[in-house]
Amino acid sequence: MELNGEQFIAAPVSKVWLGLNDVTVLHASIPGCEEIERISEEEVRAKVMFKIGPVRARFSGRLVLSDIVPNASCSMAFEGSGGAAGFAKGKAKVELIGAEGGSLVRYSTEASIGGKLGQIGGRLISASAKKIADDFFLAFAKELGGDLNIVSDAKLEDKLE
Amino acid sequence: MKAAAFDYVKAKNLVEAIALLSEHGEDARLIAGGQTLLATLNLRLSEPSILIDITAVSELKGISVQGNMLRIGALVTHTEIEGSDLIAQHAPLLTEAAPHIAHRAIRNLGTWGGSLAYGDPAAEWPACSLALDAIMVIQGPGGIRKVSANDFFIDLYTTTLQADEILVASEIPLASSNQSHSFQELARRHGDYAAVGLAAVIRKEKGKVQTCRLAFFSVAAIPTMATKAQAFLEGKSIDAALIQQAVKLAREEIETLADITNSQETKTHLLGVLLERALTKMMP
Repeated sequence: MELNGEQFIAAPVSKVWLGLNDVTVLHASIPGCEEIERISEEEVRAKVMFKIGPVRARFSGRLVLSDIVPNASCSMAFEGSGGAAGFAKGKAKVELIGAEGGSLVRYSTEASIGGKLGQIGGRLISASAKKIADDFFLAFAKELGGDLNIVSDAKLEDKLE
Repeated sequence: MKAAAFDYVKAKNLVEAIALLSEHGEDARLIAGGQTLLATLNLRLSEPSILIDITAVSELKGISVQGNMLRIGALVTHTEIEGSDLIAQHAPLLTEAAPHIAHRAIRNLGTWGGSLAYGDPAAEWPACSLALDAIMVIQGPGGIRKVSANDFFIDLYTTTLQADEILVASEIPLASSNQSHSFQELARRHGDYAAVGLAAVIRKEKGKVQTCRLAFFSVAAIPTMATKAQAFLEGKSIDAALIQQAVKLAREEIETLADITNSQETKTHLLGVLLERALTKMMP
């Protein structure tokens, strides 16, 4: 599954960058986030209650950042396990671009989902991922005190795996 | 697999059910037909600590005509709708749609309210309730509130229902004599989730479309109306050329969302095919 999108946030790039690196802001922005902890400069661990439709599963996951260019871009690899429900892993690239009156956040994500979540939840898994991304950016923009404008809506590509 | 351990309480009436919901909050789930819930419990996709059985709550039962509205209780099963004379007379769209829902064994247990409250984007009842301009009757600790189907479905699997509220019934305006309908669904196998579906209701005055509601399902995160195509059709007599223009408008305005088996392009194409079939059927 691929999930790509671009969002405009009415806050300067430096502020958006700080927000994306601030676990307190992330805690408030990630839907269902129960715990989030920064292990090192490059590693974040989190517990998230994934609650959508038929699924209510607690995921514990790890996020490793790389290619960090402050105020510009970074790459991340993530993996999460939801116990009996299944697991998710993937990688994402986030770019921040200065724009008039705010910043553009461009992201591209590749993820694969396995276990029962992949088999049964699979029918709407990409629509679910889009909803979670939308909810995150809405809350994130609010945390930064700005408005959110969706520039190009999250584009989904499904691949049978 | 087996479900994780949970408590079970059978509520005797609506007040008791709401009190239980308020007390247990997110840890509780309501169970009626259980056709989706039990499968997800057995697969441990969700592990609520308590199930509140509402099948004995009489306020949620029955189909009746009240004034100029048809009232369908939340506990009414798909099979009951399929066989009901009141429904066939006052909301024939539902009679036509019911056989498309899964299979007989599931229709015998699954309920009207369960399907609406769950809000699966591929489900038949949410789109039908939208096409029929239904009103959802919702009860919580603070009393009863009514919400139009237009405002009930908010996002993927998300409705305006709060954690301590129960969908009691739906009220549907009685079908008038100048009303025609069409229900269209494409699925890979009968009873499977819809690839694309359409619930359409048209009222005509002197051969011209007076009002028109075209509710598509399994195209986006929630059932979606083709509002531009509807506005375009209103005030006009349906003919072949008009149908082609409406199909084009609907394909342009509805932003489809892919699912695991059908791409965006496929869905956009198919929704036009269904609209053409429906309008052709309702042309005379």
